Amino acid sequence: MEAGTIFYSAIPWKPKRPFPRNPSSFPRFIRASASSQSQRGYRGPKPSKDLVADWVMSNDDAVRSLPIYVGGASLLAVLFNRTVSGIAPVADASSSQSRADLLAISLAVTSILTGLVWLSIRPKSITVVNPKGVECQMICSYLPDSVVSELLWAWESLSAVTCCRSLVVVYDGIYLLQIGMAAESGNSGEAVIVDASKLKQGSVYLGVMRSKAQRYLANLLLYPGRSELPFLPSNTQAVILQPLGDKGIAIIGGDTIRGFTTSDQSWIAFIGEKLDATLAKYSNIVPSMVQEGI
Amino acid sequence: MSILPYNSLMQLKIPSHSCAKTTRKSFSICARLDNSQQEEQQLNLSVLRFTFGIPGFDESYLPRWIGYGFGSLIVLNHFAFSNSVTSAQLRSEVLGLSLAAFSVTLPYLGKFLKGASPVSQKSLPESGEQIFVMSQNISDALKENLAWATYVLLRNTNSISVLISIRGELCVRGYWQTPDGASKTQLLEWFERQIENIGLSDLKDSLYFPQSADAGQWEMLPKGTCSVFVQPVIQAPNPSAVEVEKIEGFVLLASSMTYAYSHKDRAWIKAVSNKFRDLR
Repeated sequence: MEAGTIFYSAIPWKPKRPFPRNPSSFPRFIRASASSQSQRGYRGPKPSKDLVADWVMSNDDAVRSLPIYVGGASLLAVLFNRTVSGIAPVADASSSQSRADLLAISLAVTSILTGLVWLSIRPKSITVVNPKGVECQMICSYLPDSVVSELLWAWESLSAVTCCRSLVVVYDGIYLLQIGMAAESGNSGEAVIVDASKLKQGSVYLGVMRSKAQRYLANLLLYPGRSELPFLPSNTQAVILQPLGDKGIAIIGGDTIRGFTTSDQSWIAFIGEKLDATLAKYSNIVPSMVQEGI
Repeated sequence: MSILPYNSLMQLKIPSHSCAKTTRKSFSICARLDNSQQEEQQLNLSVLRFTFGIPGFDESYLPRWIGYGFGSLIVLNHFAFSNSVTSAQLRSEVLGLSLAAFSVTLPYLGKFLKGASPVSQKSLPESGEQIFVMSQNISDALKENLAWATYVLLRNTNSISVLISIRGELCVRGYWQTPDGASKTQLLEWFERQIENIGLSDLKDSLYFPQSADAGQWEMLPKGTCSVFVQPVIQAPNPSAVEVEKIEGFVLLASSMTYAYSHKDRAWIKAVSNKFRDLR
């Protein structure tokens, strides 16, 4: 236990209007009156509407089965053509009619197989599980403004782009940030506070620090080390443990099983490196402030 | 007590044995078992996937090649090997050719389905060299953030070039088509003029050109640019004050692939650009 206590303040921060997950809808802008710069506006080309892409994306299921229907209908059409023209439906390559028919049948089969492949690679839609707990915004009060704004930027990005619903940052044995949903302690309506020293002794933390690599627990309920993260809501579905250099860890809780994609994981790794660089610069300041705060 | 789990195991076994009609069902059961055992799993699953096993050979374009190949065989059959063409044969050939055309478009449609991953990797342009220039008189914090943001955007997205402009200060990294032999300050001025001509600093909404036809007109972009994405950096409005939202700058990314930036990529790029919102 370090001498003195660290004061944690609830962040006096009005959550900014969260930007929507769909990046194509933006807040409205008021036309600015003439300022000193020339507001001639953007003069470049505008992107044309991509009708095919939009149509495919909005009718995903129908498009996946489309090749199967087209292939099936073509097979029937070939048979029908044969019966209507009085030729026996015999598959041999002797006459040019048969050859043309065979080629059409092979193309129909390719189409059907492509449709089957598309159906089998349909991503499973997994339901979101709302975390059970209380909203919490705790940040170490001795951090300089730049560090605070960087941590809050990391939270905003993660919560807006990924399925992240809780974020805890522990650095140099001190817990710096707990934001988002947290487990409720008792029925008090208060959040469970992170015990940094206990966390540091746990196998989860030690394992991550030893491997120096990000750890992705895609289905937290199956993981026995769950008990070492009591501050996260009990029904958190997925957790990413991102080491911040050698001295810290960021614990990111999500509301969907396997909700973090590989792209999310690599972005989180880079954000972890940036946070480590920022916090390392200020880590020699924080302990001395802790001493003074007695 | 112990009979119960035994029963549930039995229940799992039975459907997989009646495989005549339920082959697809047994596939999906396998998939579910796989799910619970593997921790690190993507959101998209491929259970039935055809592959030749040749590295670097992409099978999702197979329908296109089959379409071209068989379509040309149909035409060959029509002209070379038939003495007289009956109407039945003509009908077959028309059907075959339309199926071939459909097969050719299948990979293009498949690109837009959920869970489809980009098939080609970005290719680096042969001409042009990589540059990394940054405006001089800016604070260290801004320098560090610009360097990190440009690095991350180049590493994590399919981009070959990135340009960030914040309150008039520039940071340019990657492959660009710049005039030869220019010094760093001259390059910066040249970029500023280009930006001024296009009016990029006055953009309010993000712009995405997934195919090169529209964006290739910009002189500074490297040869072989196929997609461009521009994300403006808007200062967050103060909810209490009645203020106009100020445009602080923009982030411009160019890639050598078409459809390089998915929904998620664009969301992350916006998150990175928000870092510069209130940075001094």
